[in-house]
Amino acid sequence: MARPRRARKPKYKPQVYPGADKVSDRRRKAADPTKKLAKFRSIPDDNIVLLLGHRFKGESYVSVHPPLDELVEKYDPIKNIVEPTPGARAGDRIRYIQFADSIFYPPMAPWLRPRLYMSRLRGCDVMVYSGRQLLEQRERDIEASSKWLLETEVYDPARDAIRGITVHGHSLRLDEDGLMFDARRRYKLNKETGEVEYIKNMHAEVLDNPIPVGRPLTEREARGHDCTYRWDVAAYKSRTEILTVIARYSRGRITGGFNPELTEIINNSR
Amino acid sequence: MKFEDKIDLYSDEGKLLAEKVPIEALHPYRNPYMKEIYLTLKRTAIVDLGKLQGMLRDGRTGWSTTVGQDEIKMPWYGLDLDLVEDSEEIAEELKKMLQLKEGDDTNIISLEGGSLLVVQLPLEVLRLSADYSPAFTQVSVALGQIIAKKYGLDNPLDRPYRFGMLKNCLHGRYPQYVGPNPGNPVAPLMKVPSILEGMGTGYKSFMINHVVALGNNRTLHAVALATIFEQGAQFEMGNAVGWYERYQLLGSAFQGFNANNLVLDMVKENARGTAYDVVLTLMERALADGVIEEPPRKYPFVQPSGYKLYQLKDYAMWNAYGVAELLAAVIVNSGAMRAAQNTSAVLGSWNDFIAFEGGGLPDPDAGRVMGTGLGFGFYTHGLYGGAGPGAFTMDHVIVRHTSGFLTPCIVAGMCLDAGSQIFRPNVTSGLYYTLAEELPIFQNPLEKLAEAAESIKGEI
Repeated sequence: MARPRRARKPKYKPQVYPGADKVSDRRRKAADPTKKLAKFRSIPDDNIVLLLGHRFKGESYVSVHPPLDELVEKYDPIKNIVEPTPGARAGDRIRYIQFADSIFYPPMAPWLRPRLYMSRLRGCDVMVYSGRQLLEQRERDIEASSKWLLETEVYDPARDAIRGITVHGHSLRLDEDGLMFDARRRYKLNKETGEVEYIKNMHAEVLDNPIPVGRPLTEREARGHDCTYRWDVAAYKSRTEILTVIARYSRGRITGGFNPELTEIINNSR
Repeated sequence: MKFEDKIDLYSDEGKLLAEKVPIEALHPYRNPYMKEIYLTLKRTAIVDLGKLQGMLRDGRTGWSTTVGQDEIKMPWYGLDLDLVEDSEEIAEELKKMLQLKEGDDTNIISLEGGSLLVVQLPLEVLRLSADYSPAFTQVSVALGQIIAKKYGLDNPLDRPYRFGMLKNCLHGRYPQYVGPNPGNPVAPLMKVPSILEGMGTGYKSFMINHVVALGNNRTLHAVALATIFEQGAQFEMGNAVGWYERYQLLGSAFQGFNANNLVLDMVKENARGTAYDVVLTLMERALADGVIEEPPRKYPFVQPSGYKLYQLKDYAMWNAYGVAELLAAVIVNSGAMRAAQNTSAVLGSWNDFIAFEGGGLPDPDAGRVMGTGLGFGFYTHGLYGGAGPGAFTMDHVIVRHTSGFLTPCIVAGMCLDAGSQIFRPNVTSGLYYTLAEELPIFQNPLEKLAEAAESIKGEI
C-alpha cells in the first residue's frame, strides 16, 4: 500500500497555527505535514479492509472507469500536469471512512480533521457534519490512509470511532469502560487483553472474528493529546493569540466584504 | 484609465497571449469578445425538431421528468408530421419570418441532419426588447405558424384539439406556469427571464456541465467561459459597481483568465502536492510580488509565540491571488483524485488554512467562498442528499452566493473528472458539445479574450 506522501520543504517558513500552549501545538502538529505523527499501534492490512467493509479480504478492486492509461480523453494540458494518485490511475471506486470523535479529551476533532487530511493526503474529499468527519478517496488510497489514521496518535480507540452509519454519540458521556457511546455496539473493551475490539465493521455488519485496534489511551495520556481547550487541560486565557487572529480574520472578512478598498482598516483591525 | 493595474494573459499551455493589458480591457461590457458572447447567449435559441416531431406523433407533452416528457400522454391526438425531413424548408420559412429586413443578421444553423436548428435572432430585436424573451417567444410562435400552414392545420374550426397539442408541444404549460416546461423542444440558451432566480442572474443560469461541454472538457477554457458568464451576471446584478469594480476585474482576471500565468504556475509547482502546499506557494508568491508584506517586528504584529500577522498592501489584489490559488487548489486536489466530488472539500475546508497561515488575513471573497462551499458540500454528499456537482446551475440557491468565484472552480473539477460521476457532461449536456463545435465563438476562449483585450488596449 502506498504510504502518505512526504511533505515538501518550502522556502517560505510556514506558521500553520497561532498560539504557544500545548493545545495550539497539537493543532499545529495536525495541520503541519512536516511533523511526523507517532505510531501507536499496528493493525494488519487485512483487518483494515474488514473494518472498512467495502470489499472482501483478498478481493480485487472494483473500477468505476477504465485505468487512466487506457482512457481516451479530450485534450487538456492540465490533466497531464497533475499527477493522479495510484487509485485514480487504476480507476478505482471512490470509498470512504468516517470518524466520530468524542468531545471528552479527543486526540482529534471533526473540525480539525480537514486540516490533517488536506495537508497530508492527495486527492481527498472531506466533509464535516456535527461530530463526524467523512474522508473519501479512491479505494486503494483510502485503505492506505485508513491504516495511517488508525495506527498513529490521531486515533484513540476509546474516544474516536469508525462509523459509517448511526454516528450519534460524540457528545454523550463515556460508558463504564471509558468508551464513546455507540448505538450500534460496534466495539467493546476486551478486559483480558485490555484492548478495544471491533465486533462489527464500519457499517455495523457483524464480523467473523473480533478485530483488536489497540488499548484505549489512559486519562493522563488523553489529556496530553487533547486538541481542545478546557479548564483542566489548557486554560481559556491561554487562547489569547488564537482569539486575536480569529478576531482579525472576522473583522477582515466583514470589512473586505463591505468595501474591498478598505485595506488600511483590514490591516489595523485586531 | 480608471485603474493602474496591468496584467499579462497566458494560455493554458503557458504561452504569452497579451502583454501589459489594463484590467479594464477585461471589463464584460468593454471587451469585444465578452460582449459578443453575451449577445450570442441572448439571441440564440435551440429548436429540437426531432424531439418536437416525436412529441407530436406520440401526443406526449407537458412537464418533463428524468423519465421523459410524460405528463400528458394522448396518442389519439397525435400528429404524424415529417418535420426533420422538411427541416430545410422550415428553416427557410423561419428565417423569413424572424428577420427584420432582407439580408440582416438573422442566422439559422441546421445540425444533425436537420433534427436540430440553432436559431439566432437579429441583434436589433434584442437591442429593443426589454429582455431576451424573443429568443423563445418569437421562435416558438413562428414555428407554430409554419407548421400549421405547412401541414394543413390552417382551419381552426377543423379538429381544434390538434392546435391544442401543437401549442402544448411548443409552449408547454405557459402561461399557466411562468415559463415553458423543462425539456421544451424550443429553448433559449439561458433560462427564460420569467423563471430566473433573481435580478441579473441570466448569464449564469447555465448548468455547470453545460459550461464544461462548451469548453470541450478543457479545464482552463471551461473556467474562462464560466468566469465570463459569472462576471456578466455580477456586473448585471450590481455587484461590480464602484467599490467592487476593481475587485471583480482583478479576481476574474487572475482566477478565470490565467493572468500572469499564476494559476498554471501554482498547479505546476504543486503537481505532486496537496491542497495545503498550494497555500504555502500562495504565501511565498504573495510576499515576493508585494501583495502582502512582513509585519513590523513588534507586538501586536508579531505575537509572543513569534506568530506573524502579515500586512496587506492591497486587499483587492490579495483576494485576486486568493481566488486564483483556490482554483489551483481545486485543480491539484481534483486532478490527483481525477474526480469532481472533492471540489466542495477545497471550497469549504481549505480557506481556513489561508486565515491561519497569513495571521488572520481574509480568505477568498471575504469568506463567501467558504460559506457557500460548506453548503455546497452538504448538498453534493449524502448529508442532505442533492445532486452531483455538475448538475447544479450556476445560479442555484446553493452555489450562487459568491462574487462569481466559486462556480469556475466546480467547472474545473468537472473537467478533471475521469468518469466517477452519474451526472457526467456527456450524459446531461450532449447538445452543448455540438454547439461548441458549431459555434466558433466558444472555441479557444483564452486566446480570443486576449486578442480582444489587445485590440482595445489603445482606447483605454
